Amino acid sequence: MLEWILRGLSQGRVTTRYPRREEPAPPGYRGRVALLDAHDAGPELAALCPTGAITVDGQRRLALDRGRCILCGACVEAAPDRFAFDARYQTAARSRSDLIVAGDDNSGSSEPPRPTLGQRAGALRRSIHVRHIDCGSDGAEEWEIQALWNPYYDIQRLGFFLTAAPRHADVLLVTGAVTAAMRTPLERTWEVMPEPKALVAVGTDACSGGLCDAGELTAGGVDTVLPVDVYVPGSPPAPIAIMHGLLLATGLLRPEEVAA
Amino acid sequence: MTSVIHNPTMLRGSLPEHLGAPREPAPAGELRLRVAPTAFEPAVRMLRDAGARFVTIFLADTPEPALVGVFALYGELVVLRAPGGDADGSIGDWWPAARWAEQELIERQFESRGAGGVGPPRFERRLTAPDADLLDRRVDGLDVFTIPYGPVRSGIFEAIQFQIETGGEDVPRIQTRPFFKHRGMERRFVGLRPDRAVYVAERVAGIASVAYASAFSQAVERALGVAPPARAECWRALYAELERIACHLDVIAKQAETTALYVGQARFQILKERVTRLRATLTGSRFGRGVIVPGGVRFDGTMGLDELLAELDHLERDLRRDRRLFLGTASMTDRLIGAGRLERALVEDYSAVGPLARGSGLSTDARHERPYGDYRRLGLRVVTHREGDAMARVNVRFGELSESLRILRQSIDHLRRRDGQLKTSLPEVGNGAGFGWAEAPQGELVIWVEIRDGVVHRVHVASPSLRNWALFDHAFPNDVLTDFAFIEHSFGLTPAGADR
Repeated sequence: MLEWILRGLSQGRVTTRYPRREEPAPPGYRGRVALLDAHDAGPELAALCPTGAITVDGQRRLALDRGRCILCGACVEAAPDRFAFDARYQTAARSRSDLIVAGDDNSGSSEPPRPTLGQRAGALRRSIHVRHIDCGSDGAEEWEIQALWNPYYDIQRLGFFLTAAPRHADVLLVTGAVTAAMRTPLERTWEVMPEPKALVAVGTDACSGGLCDAGELTAGGVDTVLPVDVYVPGSPPAPIAIMHGLLLATGLLRPEEVAA
Repeated sequence: MTSVIHNPTMLRGSLPEHLGAPREPAPAGELRLRVAPTAFEPAVRMLRDAGARFVTIFLADTPEPALVGVFALYGELVVLRAPGGDADGSIGDWWPAARWAEQELIERQFESRGAGGVGPPRFERRLTAPDADLLDRRVDGLDVFTIPYGPVRSGIFEAIQFQIETGGEDVPRIQTRPFFKHRGMERRFVGLRPDRAVYVAERVAGIASVAYASAFSQAVERALGVAPPARAECWRALYAELERIACHLDVIAKQAETTALYVGQARFQILKERVTRLRATLTGSRFGRGVIVPGGVRFDGTMGLDELLAELDHLERDLRRDRRLFLGTASMTDRLIGAGRLERALVEDYSAVGPLARGSGLSTDARHERPYGDYRRLGLRVVTHREGDAMARVNVRFGELSESLRILRQSIDHLRRRDGQLKTSLPEVGNGAGFGWAEAPQGELVIWVEIRDGVVHRVHVASPSLRNWALFDHAFPNDVLTDFAFIEHSFGLTPAGADR
């Protein structure tokens, strides 16, 4: 056992300083798609996207819905003058409309988001219990959530703990587009969580259904079933993105850090 | 048609005559045979007697509607095609490996015929539309109770349910209930061009994106008669081995977690994260997505090969130390030795694949049985252990980690010697149908693709997770309830791949 301890100590610190310091993504990392030029676009640009995240309006202006984007890179490959990958981890947003970039306007949410969990429960600091439910993810989101508790991200240093019981949970992480069989378990899990509580949709499937069409098999996103506080798009989102989402949901991020 | 075959090796050349089935043209690695619907079951029985492994059963639409059974025998895929045939559940009655695949087929057929939520009468419970509250007890006794574990589980796990019937210690019966996360992925492929459908393939089972993308791409290439450039094959093998390393490290870290060996868990998590970041640097995606496309790969890995080699050396050095510590920690190994023992005969009966089968002494590995892509040029040693317990499965994974690192070095060597093209273009309006396969970290994956006028017409996925999970019901012969977590993690499967 002593050997294990020495082995552990010999590694030194690997843990990220995020959110106190930005965690840089490797160059070329596909964190999100940036819109370089939104004007005078043809309808063929909309056809580039397999999930319909790209739209062109009557004035030939482009809009990109990051909540639908699966980061496949088809648009970046075909129209590099208009789309580019942005190598950043923090991609979470507090409302669905914040994920839509249109024209030159890169933010501009019209609907006011719900107050954060921190605002609703002032004492709730440094002891936030997180519960996860899988409603039809592809399995990669679970890996990235699990990674939050590994030495690189160690989210416990920020006061987030994993709980097995929904009755103890403050935050519910939901992955997947919500399949028919998981709808009732999801509703029941949310119902038994005590107020105040927050729901974080993790992954593009949870944000909008992604590649899974809404239909009889999946609901097409968590917000068709329950109110969502924070959206973390990505296919799958990186651990830092999920951490960003958790910090947004609980109001633990300083104002200057909020801007995605 | 003769009865039992006494000398299986005699069969190899004469299988069509034995089955009384004409041989159809097929690409290398496949033996396609046509049988009458009435001769389908006897032919399957004969294949089983000859030692074939069940892969899948499904309804194909090309060249004509037919019931198709797929089996692995002597380094070939034997494909039985019965035009106009229909599944009736009779094979699962005597070959447990076929049970889930056949039941799924019948239930889905029933669904698509508009019979609503009612299953066919021969099945007492529906497999494909599980209800979290449905409990059907089998074991009687005053003190036996049922624990429905899942689909919402403690910890961060994918949704699946285990109905555990126990008196508190012994586990007389476990019933695994998949399909809580059925997303209809096979249907999602339909109508897409192959270069776009590959994004769906990557998301069938996210932790094995590379394997799914490769198998799908190979199926498309074989269907359209296109060969990817050698350099693309090198990259595919390289990404596949990195994926295997990440998956195996994940399983080992979870085994350490279940024995509360937290430093060990942290060590293997660190190694896994390093591999994940390596994959992000190479491809821009932590799961290697968006690189492999039908016809080749989209771009060269964005990292110098020398740098990659140095990183692998560093990884191997650390892995060797952690492995020595892990295997020398008695509190760890004592829990794994003897836990979840699967007898070889049982594993064969269920046609299990991957590290699970190799831990029970079967040397099944798609990379070895039917080498594809760069594996035709890479030397591969199949790691097997005979004990069949959780320890054997961990040992198989440790062995494969070293083997993968060795293959990676060979791949890098191949990459250095193969300049040039990365992608062969596909015909604009192609037609055809074919199988593609890959050894995913969970086991052999087979994908059937039909293409009509350049778009995907039908896809069938035979995932290793679905085939192996049927075996979980039998993994508790002498084990108690507290062994559950070890045994589950030692399987190392993903519900997303099973449910699709």
